[in-house]
Amino acid sequence: MSFDEIFDVIVIGGGHAGCEAASASARLGSQTALVTLNLDLIGQMSCNPAIGGIAKGHLVREIDALGGIMGRIIDRTGIQFRLLNRSRGPAVQSPRAQADRALYRTEMRGTLEATPNLHLRQGLVVDLIVDDGRIHGVELQDSRRLAAQAVIIATGTFLNGMIHTGPRTYSAGRAGEPASIELAESLKRHGFPVGRLKTGTPPRLDGRTIHWDAFQPQFADEVPVPFSFATDRIEQPQITCYLGYTTETVHDTIRANIHQSPLYSGKIKGIGPRYCPSIEDKVVKFADKTRHQLFLEPEGHSTNEVYLNGFSTSLPADLQQDLVNQIPGLEDARIIRPGYAIEYDYVDPRELTPYLETVRVKGLFHAGQINGTTGYEEAGCQGIIAGINASSSVQGRRGLHLKREESYIGVLIDDLIKQGVDEPYRIFTSRAEFRLALRYDNADARLSPYGRELGLVGDVDWERFHQRRDRRAVLKAALKTTRFKRADVQYTAISQAVGAELGDAITLEQLANRPEVQPALIRQLLSAELQRETGISDLESVLADSLYSGYLRSQQTTFDRLHNHDNLRVPHDFEFRDINGLSHEMIERLERACPKTFGQARRVPGLTPSALSNLLVQLTAQQRSL
Amino acid sequence: MPIKDTIVALSTPPGRSGIGIIRLSGQLSLDIARALIQKPSFVPEPQHVYLTTIRDPATGDIVDRGLITYFKAPHSFTGEDVIELSCHGSPVLLRNVLDVVLSLNARLAEPGEFTLRALSHGRLNLSQAEAIRDLINARTKAAALQAQRQLGGELSRQLQPLKNILVEVIVPLESALEFVEDDLPEVLIDQILSKLSMLGTRIAQLGDTFKSGRLLRDGLKVVLVGKPNVGKSSVFNELLVQDRAIVTEVAGTTRDSLSEAISLNGIPILLTDTAGLRTSEDLIENLGVGRTRTAIADADLIVYLIDRSRPITADDLAVFEEVRANPNIIALNKSDLPPFPQSMDAPTSEQTIAVVNISAKLGTGLDDLRAAIIQPFMSQDARVDGLLVTDARHFDLLKRTGDSLRTSEQLLVERVSEELVLVGLYDALRYLGEITGETTPDDVLSEIFATFCIGK
Repeated sequence: MSFDEIFDVIVIGGGHAGCEAASASARLGSQTALVTLNLDLIGQMSCNPAIGGIAKGHLVREIDALGGIMGRIIDRTGIQFRLLNRSRGPAVQSPRAQADRALYRTEMRGTLEATPNLHLRQGLVVDLIVDDGRIHGVELQDSRRLAAQAVIIATGTFLNGMIHTGPRTYSAGRAGEPASIELAESLKRHGFPVGRLKTGTPPRLDGRTIHWDAFQPQFADEVPVPFSFATDRIEQPQITCYLGYTTETVHDTIRANIHQSPLYSGKIKGIGPRYCPSIEDKVVKFADKTRHQLFLEPEGHSTNEVYLNGFSTSLPADLQQDLVNQIPGLEDARIIRPGYAIEYDYVDPRELTPYLETVRVKGLFHAGQINGTTGYEEAGCQGIIAGINASSSVQGRRGLHLKREESYIGVLIDDLIKQGVDEPYRIFTSRAEFRLALRYDNADARLSPYGRELGLVGDVDWERFHQRRDRRAVLKAALKTTRFKRADVQYTAISQAVGAELGDAITLEQLANRPEVQPALIRQLLSAELQRETGISDLESVLADSLYSGYLRSQQTTFDRLHNHDNLRVPHDFEFRDINGLSHEMIERLERACPKTFGQARRVPGLTPSALSNLLVQLTAQQRSL
Repeated sequence: MPIKDTIVALSTPPGRSGIGIIRLSGQLSLDIARALIQKPSFVPEPQHVYLTTIRDPATGDIVDRGLITYFKAPHSFTGEDVIELSCHGSPVLLRNVLDVVLSLNARLAEPGEFTLRALSHGRLNLSQAEAIRDLINARTKAAALQAQRQLGGELSRQLQPLKNILVEVIVPLESALEFVEDDLPEVLIDQILSKLSMLGTRIAQLGDTFKSGRLLRDGLKVVLVGKPNVGKSSVFNELLVQDRAIVTEVAGTTRDSLSEAISLNGIPILLTDTAGLRTSEDLIENLGVGRTRTAIADADLIVYLIDRSRPITADDLAVFEEVRANPNIIALNKSDLPPFPQSMDAPTSEQTIAVVNISAKLGTGLDDLRAAIIQPFMSQDARVDGLLVTDARHFDLLKRTGDSLRTSEQLLVERVSEELVLVGLYDALRYLGEITGETTPDDVLSEIFATFCIGK
């Protein structure tokens, strides 16, 4: 085979999965090419210009803890930071930030270009070069052939992308960009099971034509919480977003024209995300709601473009303009880019190992929307995992497989490869069994040691990690040992501040665990030295550990009880094909995984509950007959 | 559909009987039936009974005349093609039919394999499979009825609406956490609290039926004790209405503990007759005494017998000392004879449930004794017609569900952050899921998306 260039790893796609993948792979020492249709659109946010949110912010923190780049880049380009769920427990708080869309792209491209071993190539991949069940490289539309031992597909909505606006339907990967049709065909040719999903985006408005005073301002946090553990301060000036509502008039117009929506005319077959419905869906499915919330989100410091969040639609462009003008405050607003719906191919993620490698073609990895997910953060976290594992496989090193108990990344990948998807998959905190343990503030403690071991966490960041860990340890000790007795001077003041009787003596830890006590009060009670040397975020982390420790223990017990068959041994000569009622697919999966215990079998991707109960019955029956 | 072998088994108990049923399950079932009746074009209407002659296809010899019923997949117990052959109940004949079926590429089923296939085809859930086990093992009609109820998914059915309410409680709390930026209605804590307390009550009620349910399934262990020759074995036999123990005038004849299962008002009773308790020099009898003590330790209820026609002796009192801590009934036997006055003041303890006069000889007072035996269990059994929880695992899960709900309720009252309140609610959901089948986070999310308009 002749090739024009030879790399270790090729990443197809320069979106959020592709960027993380290429960055991780290159920094782990593999010669990595990132092949994308348009170098100027690397790191493009195709939909809303924001990163983070509940559970999604956790993912970004985890990417960062592993040594990824998304967190650092949003910290440099974020123009409105907010910590969500501030009034609730620390486990469900999560950072979110509006990005300057253009700045994010520029920073991302600059970061990749500054990465040694990373080579950007513009081109359209039309075919995978596969021989004997192994990937060998890719072929571009311009006939160039690039060799690599590992290839990561991160093509987002481009695989067979089809855009719908009203009656118009055309092939595209994003508005204004061509779809990737040959690659989609190539995947089908290699036998990958392919399905169809749908997503949508709202119109963008000209900010100069909006009556801003008709909307409620929504301000950034006074003290922004950054995404990256490496960021000390957010430098970008912070902007204000605005909140408004649709009216019954808008709804009536939509209902009267619903036949013009490809969603309702039957043209769109792909399944869209229920948590991100189009305005048509909102009006039809929740007909009794008299208004729906809208957010006006400026797209950056140097543009007039405003993102009309909450108004995703595939109605005809002229109708979109009419509808927008019926919204109070948008009477004179002009649409710059109309909204649209897009259908695209995804590959059944049950084809993947926990390393995101396909079982069908050795050396081929899938990351991002191709696996049926939605969201930049979901894409990014798969990107870093695929990048780490592609590079590791080329170098013959052990890859990274994160578990559900230790990360949202582990939850996401495990859900994908075990359950597959039937709508675009988004992360939620409720998907994690141990969400109290998976906090945004302890992502470093959970994952940075992996990143360091792999070589993605550099010396400076590792030193910072240690300092943070030491500060938390000192605080933890102080909370346990600092006691206030009735005779102490501060006792009365504390008791008054809390407004309750505190017993003869109380430690800082006990005090902190009272629901009415805020971390700020605890901080005041620390020694001057500790107050100087530790930050409020250190204290909040330690307090969160203490708040949740009891729950986590009892949760663990519950799990152990429910999974008390996990230690049941699978005899070494056990024949899975002898189990009656197991399909060939289940037998294959079990034989491939070769579990030693029932617990391991339970985690074998793609096993159905009935196959598992079948296996369990057999194993217990065998045990009894021993 | 994966290719699987066809299994066969005798479905009625082994031994001589009126009829014997041989059941086949698997893809070859119908072909085998056609071969047995030598009609290759036989296309039976499912669930219809056909009178046929069964032959050995190898020789053409008639094996039996019997009834054939065809159950077409997936509308059968196992979810596969099933054939039932009702033959004459001779063990030799049934063995012949089985041999012929086995020669036609069927395989003898492992114990429980039909149920296993039903499980793996989703025809049964785990709780229903457990019910089948109970149904097969059921000793009385009432216990069988309970197992039948559970087989119909009755427990699941009763729990399902409760689980739905639990999900209704979870939905607003979970939504408040996950969708902070959405325009959600205010969480109505009082409404949630009242739902939680209603759930707790219902779960507790179901859990409370376990005491009766367990009796129905496992039966009540009743042990007859008394010093030698007070008539234990006679009473035992009267209750059994069957001459099982040897009754003689010689004290200490019953040297071993004898047990028999009987049914009183549908409650299975394991009745144990014991060796008389006394200090005996007879070694064998001493062994029996040891067993008696074991039986007492295992008993749910003791029937303490004395001969009321004779004076109460030190032996009588010594025996009572052995059982006074157990729930007990004092049975004053030989009421056909003139009473010895002092014996009317038989010893009692705080655990004594009743004192009854009986005569094993005349059979009088025995109905009173039977009533006294089941009385404590019947009192809370007004619901015996309803569903009873009969499985210890189910009881345990219901209890844990109740505990988890209570913890969450308390946290909610204290207005603690939702993620902590939800810990107990999800635990409860998991426990209930162990009985009814799992509710996944996806199910909860679906409910959220169906309830609220989510999405910026």
